[in-house]
Amino acid sequence: MGHFMMRWSLAGVWCALVVLAPSVCAAQETIDSRLWIVAGGTSATVRGDCQTCEEDFPYRHGPGILANAGYRVNPRMDVGAEIFWVPLETASGTLNTTHMDAVAQFRPWRTHGFFIKGGAGMAFIRNWVDAIGQGAINSKALSVVVGGGWAFRVEKHVGFELFASQHAGALGDLQTAAGDVPDVLGNYWSFGAALVFR
Amino acid sequence: MGILLRPRPLAAALVCALLIHAAPLAAQETEPPFAEATGGWPSFLARAIESAALFDLSPVAPHAKGEQPGTPPAPDPYAAARPCQGCPPRSVGRAFLQTTVVNVFYGIANLVRGQVTARVTPKTWWENMENGWVWDLDDFVVNQIGHPYQGSNYYNSGRANGLSFYESAAMAAFGSATWEFYGETNKPSLNDFINTTLGGIAIGEVLHRVSWLMRDTTKSGSGRLWSEIGATVLDPVTGYNRFRRGDASRIEEKPADMVPSALSGFASAGALWRGTEHEPFQGAGQAFLEADLLYGDPLHGRSRSPYDAFAMTMRFGGGGPVSEARLIGRLLGEPFGKDGKFEFTVAQAYDFQKNDAYAFGAQSFDGGVAFTQPLSSHISLALLGSGGLTVLGAIDSLPVGVTEVPEEEPESDAGQGVSEGPRFYDYGPGSKFTVRALLLHDNAPFAVAFYEGRQLFSLDGLRANHFLQHARLDLRVPIYRKIGFGVAGEYFSRHTYYQDAAKTEKQFRYPQFRTYLTWDIS
Repeated sequence: MGHFMMRWSLAGVWCALVVLAPSVCAAQETIDSRLWIVAGGTSATVRGDCQTCEEDFPYRHGPGILANAGYRVNPRMDVGAEIFWVPLETASGTLNTTHMDAVAQFRPWRTHGFFIKGGAGMAFIRNWVDAIGQGAINSKALSVVVGGGWAFRVEKHVGFELFASQHAGALGDLQTAAGDVPDVLGNYWSFGAALVFR
Repeated sequence: MGILLRPRPLAAALVCALLIHAAPLAAQETEPPFAEATGGWPSFLARAIESAALFDLSPVAPHAKGEQPGTPPAPDPYAAARPCQGCPPRSVGRAFLQTTVVNVFYGIANLVRGQVTARVTPKTWWENMENGWVWDLDDFVVNQIGHPYQGSNYYNSGRANGLSFYESAAMAAFGSATWEFYGETNKPSLNDFINTTLGGIAIGEVLHRVSWLMRDTTKSGSGRLWSEIGATVLDPVTGYNRFRRGDASRIEEKPADMVPSALSGFASAGALWRGTEHEPFQGAGQAFLEADLLYGDPLHGRSRSPYDAFAMTMRFGGGGPVSEARLIGRLLGEPFGKDGKFEFTVAQAYDFQKNDAYAFGAQSFDGGVAFTQPLSSHISLALLGSGGLTVLGAIDSLPVGVTEVPEEEPESDAGQGVSEGPRFYDYGPGSKFTVRALLLHDNAPFAVAFYEGRQLFSLDGLRANHFLQHARLDLRVPIYRKIGFGVAGEYFSRHTYYQDAAKTEKQFRYPQFRTYLTWDIS
């Protein structure tokens, strides 16, 4: 029950921030810098799955770090690179994932901080043990990210944002001690906050 | 820590945010409020019909029906929201709304067709969000043509409402993601998301620009009406909005960025003969129709306007209903070197090939350099070289030891619309490089040599590295006025390295020869 209340309290806080945010964000378009830097932390949930697997794989939870660096194309559009790192402690060891993506972020309304984001790149996944099978080795993966959030401006060049995103890491085959697992795909849900420098 | 990560409250918060802000944000744009501009929903249809009726069917009468000659045209309620004359009024809120309406439209269409995957509920939405992305098992054509076309509708919801190329690209991604999570009961498909978004951007911008080629907005009468209807067939979302706003009957100049700096193209009809590895040519030819369009000047000038230059090839017949579709659009161009003879270009490409020999589709980005050299007052030489990354490619692939695609099994109990496989093509990222040499007569190519090499590593399906090569030589000569004759020789090669225990390799090569008549549509 406590967890339930906490979740919905967070949702309420989010809504309140969204309602109160426009006046704070309204002046965002006056920034003349083209630099776009974001750095922050996330709480992440990871689940591995494969096309032919029958098992119901577990959700794993852990912290993560997310950073963006890029260029403001116009008042509504930023493009750049993103790094998203999630280390997860499991009974079988640490599962490390680093997503490196080219991303584009779109802010539909100049006077509001709401944004959506998408991109693609590569993911490096080390020790995908506990999620799929024992003895899995390192693997490179195709990475895709979608997300959205709300940015708040505190000073001319500094602000913060709340965001939610979903990363996918398509590994292909995963070599494990028990044999190859085909068509493995990892999903990473994250929710966090970050500082924004423009 | 994991408490925060169960996405239910987050989803609720995002929905809350959207509900709170969608309406006022839509109204913040300078376009008149929907009800004010249209008189509400009932009169909206009436206005659309009235818009069509405004066409004066007399050949030269620029005034609206019912007006006396010399009467000033009716005021444009959207004038303040238009960034330029002829441009659509800008409204981000309406773009989001229409993108969602496109999804609802496709959902209802699937429901009418009896597809069980269209029976979505909040429970299926939540299950899809919890499950995350998967690879799907749909047909090749559905995934490589159907989804990109659907994406073009999302994209043009942005363009039709005054959004820029990149802003409309975000609309394509938004529409695609919401369709995958909320439009079907199927698990959200990663390959569909990529194909719908990137393919939708490429096809959407090309259809948007070609539909503007069809319109002559300085004319009135039945010719104008049919040109608007024809353009609407190509780009339904823009067409719908133009009829809704009355733009389809307004006499005005086209938006400047929808007028290409140059235009050349050919429509071709002929026959092709495809050989096998052991026999260069088989007896029976296959008929084909092809359209080639070169929009703008991809070889010269500084460009920051995406798709102000693009090349398109569409081939119908010749081994399949659509055997080839290629689009390559310039995203930016920068001249360099003495007299600007060199041009650096970044481009986006959409590819689809399906014939008796192989099936291939891809979404990719290229960087390249072009060089041009005049040879005489009318003839010039252009050389282009480019290389790039394939974000996601699809290639047909049979298991080792299988030589033919097995016959489809009757539909299972899973219900109509549910794809259960097996799927005989694979997905993965890759790379490519291309070389082209063109001889041009007054900027229209009459001799083209083309070579393309591709590498694709399949991540989903049979694990293999695929190397594809395609060489082509085209010669076209004029016969009479706009009619010409052309011949083309092509060579396809495919080398597949399977990553099985035996490290199986397969190689397949075949030539292709075509003769055709051309009609210059420049």
